[in-house]
Amino acid sequence: MGQLYQAISEVEENLSKLLEEVRSLRQYVEYLEEENIKLKRQLCAVSEADTARVQKNAARIQKEAHENLEKLYQEGFHVCHIYFGEPLEGSCLFCNAFLRKD
Amino acid sequence: MIILCTKEDLLSGVNTVQRAVSTKSTLPILQGIKLSATKEGLWFEATDLELGIRILLPVNIQEEGEVVLPARLFAEVVRRLPDSSIRIESSGHNINIFYNDSHFELNGYDPEEYPEMADIPSGDVIELPGPTFKNMIKQTVFACAVEETRPVFTGLLLQIEKEKISLVSTDTHRLAYSKSLLNGNEKEFSGIIPSKTMQEIYRLVGDEEFLNIKVSKSRVIFNFNNIQVLTRLIEGQFPNYKQVIPQTCNTKLLINTRKLLDTVERASLLSRDNYLKTNTVRFNIENSSININQYSELGKISEQLEIEQEGEDVAISFNAKYIIDLLKIIETDKVILETSGPYSPCVFRPENNEDYLCLVLPLRN
Repeated sequence: MGQLYQAISEVEENLSKLLEEVRSLRQYVEYLEEENIKLKRQLCAVSEADTARVQKNAARIQKEAHENLEKLYQEGFHVCHIYFGEPLEGSCLFCNAFLRKD
Repeated sequence: MIILCTKEDLLSGVNTVQRAVSTKSTLPILQGIKLSATKEGLWFEATDLELGIRILLPVNIQEEGEVVLPARLFAEVVRRLPDSSIRIESSGHNINIFYNDSHFELNGYDPEEYPEMADIPSGDVIELPGPTFKNMIKQTVFACAVEETRPVFTGLLLQIEKEKISLVSTDTHRLAYSKSLLNGNEKEFSGIIPSKTMQEIYRLVGDEEFLNIKVSKSRVIFNFNNIQVLTRLIEGQFPNYKQVIPQTCNTKLLINTRKLLDTVERASLLSRDNYLKTNTVRFNIENSSININQYSELGKISEQLEIEQEGEDVAISFNAKYIIDLLKIIETDKVILETSGPYSPCVFRPENNEDYLCLVLPLRN
């Protein structure tokens, strides 16, 4: 009888721990849901300043890439899709057109 | 095989097909010229498997037959034959050439081993105006690449779109483009034809009014007079050449073609053998004149050429060979030069002719 009582007490104790854990998880889920809603709102309403910042960043990266290709061409390598990376002899119409287009 | 002919007949056949004889192949029989005596006449035939040329000559055929003879030796023999009537008789793979009271025996190859130059059974046939097509070849073939690292640049892009025909060639440093009209044509074709084939077409087409071309996806046959030229097309994608042709310019010049050619040729005498081997010629364009001041360890040249100028002054360096090549094929008295600066491609075109242009990329200093 004593053994059974002890076992039930242990189960009761485990259940209460589990319940406590579920409660804490519930709080965490509520917090995550709130954050998610907040982020979704932020995403839908990106400010013009942010857009401009992102575009500026993209342009900077593109400019850097173009400069790198220009440098590669100046150093004597093809940047056109036909001969990309191969040593250049003189100049190449297709590299020139590619760099001019970008 | 027994035929009666003249030295002229044999010379005509040999000279027509000889350039198609293989010089590099490991197959010995491709170093031969095939002679086929048929009811139609005497066919001369040579091929290197890329290019094949056949010509039919109306000679007196006494007995039909085929022989394959070593091209170089046969050509040398034919050139040295007397101008008398000639009788050729075959015996096995060999032939006997009888002239005057003499004869020359020549050992040949087994004609059964000679590759057949097959016709295109169901290809489209397109009719091209001979003199116009020949002129288009002349205007473009010089800009093809010589080295074979990229095979597409060793050929000319032939594009036929209904009533328009164009030929384009480039070696990536320069580009030549010529177009014309094909009145009444409904068919379309696009393919890269080896420059060697085009050079042969240019050499062989006389003043025939038209030549027929029969096309398939991998081969083309040109028919004109009694000659057939068969060629394989070069596989691969020709790059988008239209994107390299500038649509605007900052400077436009009208220059006397002959005077510019003479000036550049003189200037290149000092640059072609310099230690850099660049053969550079520098145009200083200002105040309606081109100034060329060239010097090297060999000497110095200073020339001034009066021109008609619209737009900005500019200084541009070119490979002199490229300028000489293109000026040699421009037939008008004046040539138009359009440029947008020392690093942009320059467009050269004949005055009053929108059907042709040649693009040259300046040298970077």
